[in-house]
Amino acid sequence: MVRMTITANAAVAHAARLARVALVPGFPITPQTTIIEQISEFINDGEMDAEFIPAESEHSVMSVAIGASAGGVRTFTATSSQGLALMYEMLFAAAPSRLPIVMVNANRSVGAASGIWTEHNDSLPVREAGWLQAYVEDGQEALDATLQAFRIAEDARVRLPVMVCMDGFILTHTVEAVDVPERAEVDRFLPRFDTTNTLVPSDPMVMSPIVPPEFAMEMRYQQDRAMQASLEVIKEVDEEFAGLFGRRYGGLFEEYRMEDAEYAMIGLGTWVGAAREVVDQLRAEGRKAGLIKLRFVRPFPATELREALKDMKAVGVFERSASFNGFGPLYTELRSAMYGTDVPITDHFGGIGGRDITVPDVREMYEVVERRSRGERVNECTWHGLRGEQG
Amino acid sequence: MAAQALADAAVRAGHHAQAFPYFGAERRGAPVQAFARIDSRKIRVKSQVYEPDLVVVLDASLFELEPVTEGLKEGGRLAVNTPLRPEELEIGEGTEAVTATADATAIALQTLKVPIVNTAMLGVLCRVQDLVPIETVMEAVQERFGEKLGAIAGRANASSAWKAYDGAVVGVASGKRRIARAKEWRPAWHEMPAGTSLPSATIDGVEVGPGSARTNLTGEWRWSTPFYKKDRCIRCLRCWWSCPDAAIDRLDDDYMRWNFDYCKGCGICADICPVSAIDMIKGVHRW
Repeated sequence: MVRMTITANAAVAHAARLARVALVPGFPITPQTTIIEQISEFINDGEMDAEFIPAESEHSVMSVAIGASAGGVRTFTATSSQGLALMYEMLFAAAPSRLPIVMVNANRSVGAASGIWTEHNDSLPVREAGWLQAYVEDGQEALDATLQAFRIAEDARVRLPVMVCMDGFILTHTVEAVDVPERAEVDRFLPRFDTTNTLVPSDPMVMSPIVPPEFAMEMRYQQDRAMQASLEVIKEVDEEFAGLFGRRYGGLFEEYRMEDAEYAMIGLGTWVGAAREVVDQLRAEGRKAGLIKLRFVRPFPATELREALKDMKAVGVFERSASFNGFGPLYTELRSAMYGTDVPITDHFGGIGGRDITVPDVREMYEVVERRSRGERVNECTWHGLRGEQG
Repeated sequence: MAAQALADAAVRAGHHAQAFPYFGAERRGAPVQAFARIDSRKIRVKSQVYEPDLVVVLDASLFELEPVTEGLKEGGRLAVNTPLRPEELEIGEGTEAVTATADATAIALQTLKVPIVNTAMLGVLCRVQDLVPIETVMEAVQERFGEKLGAIAGRANASSAWKAYDGAVVGVASGKRRIARAKEWRPAWHEMPAGTSLPSATIDGVEVGPGSARTNLTGEWRWSTPFYKKDRCIRCLRCWWSCPDAAIDRLDDDYMRWNFDYCKGCGICADICPVSAIDMIKGVHRW
């Protein structure tokens, strides 16, 4: 193990190197570009025995990734925002083909108002593409989650692609101390790439042919079962990872100071760090606040979250992705998971378009959650940090 | 298109109607299905028809291959393209139905110069149903086919419908022979390979996966066969390029040879040949 002070993007590149990824297609897009640049350097310097294929677009990147994975090699790529949007079609080809591609998405706002700053409105809208979606909090987790992603994706019970999402700039370009494992350690965790789903010229198979309605539904149900199975696999892999590397992330989600909590905040990404500070402050004041850091949006751990939150006096969902005249995606999912309980839940949008999220911002959000539980009228959905009155 | 024309005619006659084909792979020469519903109120169902009141059979040889009358309602009726009288037909075990027959192929060849029988069969159908009169069907056919294929073709198709209506024989058809539905592979979700990735395999007697097309002898679908007049051939290769099934082999001297295991008899080669070196001959031949 070597402790390095590196960006999360560099940490991810190290993860790809350590995972012995054999093929990396790429197309540059801010704030992801330094990942594939670093990987190119590793390859150039002989530190990574892989092929780098610069493609002409992200659509082609994912197409190459699909071909490579179907060809039987461990495949990694990274993208962001409009790049992910341009891949949209091929995302929906990779998952049903059951190809364990791992991709990092540097979360960045999509479309207009054109921005390069972080927002989750690129990855959350594709949560029905059949990929697992993980979100990470810091550089160490970016590396660790990417390594875990290969194990989860390639597990015979799962065989689905995994997207590891991390906040653009605020995480991708921030240097932190990251423990980079030795290759031998990672080799113990991650076996050789092996799937049955491989195209071999001497023993040909038809992969993802046109599938008429007589078969398509069963194929979709297989995807559903595989996603369901991944819930357990994620927990197992996190445990095994903890045994080897000494770092544990809670599997599907981490509970922070939830032991006797009465009020909980839930969310994902870098925001969680500030929320930890707020929970500590509140606890110091004698208030029973807790936090749930969601690691996976797909599979969505509905049963487990319900169990963790069913006795709360109130829950606030924090989302870095707005929904227009609707409720945010996490809120919608959590409300469904909590149906039948009488736990009041409020939705909170913040950090939109990359607006900074401070500790006082999170504290303000928490106060709304508590006010709601006291029976005060609050908006079902609050935009935090917004200038002007909210209707 | 004929099903659409029927629905069109039904709407013109004051009914509610819908028509649609089987939404799947369709090729000339292969069995196809189309559906129409006619009702006095708005039709809300969009599924295929499984219990028809009326079955129109465009090719009587289907009675030997498929359980054509499966699901036909009690009192349901048939319209069949055949030179036989209804009483001479074998329509499948335990079935008896009022049936109209006409040699629609002969009529189509006479009026359209091609063996496309769908509009003629609309005429035959008019003899066993009274919701839509033949005059309205002819109007709809003339307009619909005319719009797409030109006024002359529109009129010819309407005339085809009339001639078949006029010449159809109505009687009662019945059947004794059992026609089993071909066994189809319908695996449960856990029996399917992940991602529908299929290696070469035989499942329920049917080859699947790569190379399976070799053993599915689609030449059986053919009802007319190209006859190659080598002495006329100028070796332009157009037929070879155009064959949708790659069933024409190009020989070393650039003359052609047809592979009748796979030739579905679509006739594109005969159409495209600039020197009429290919004739389509009715029937399944090998030469």
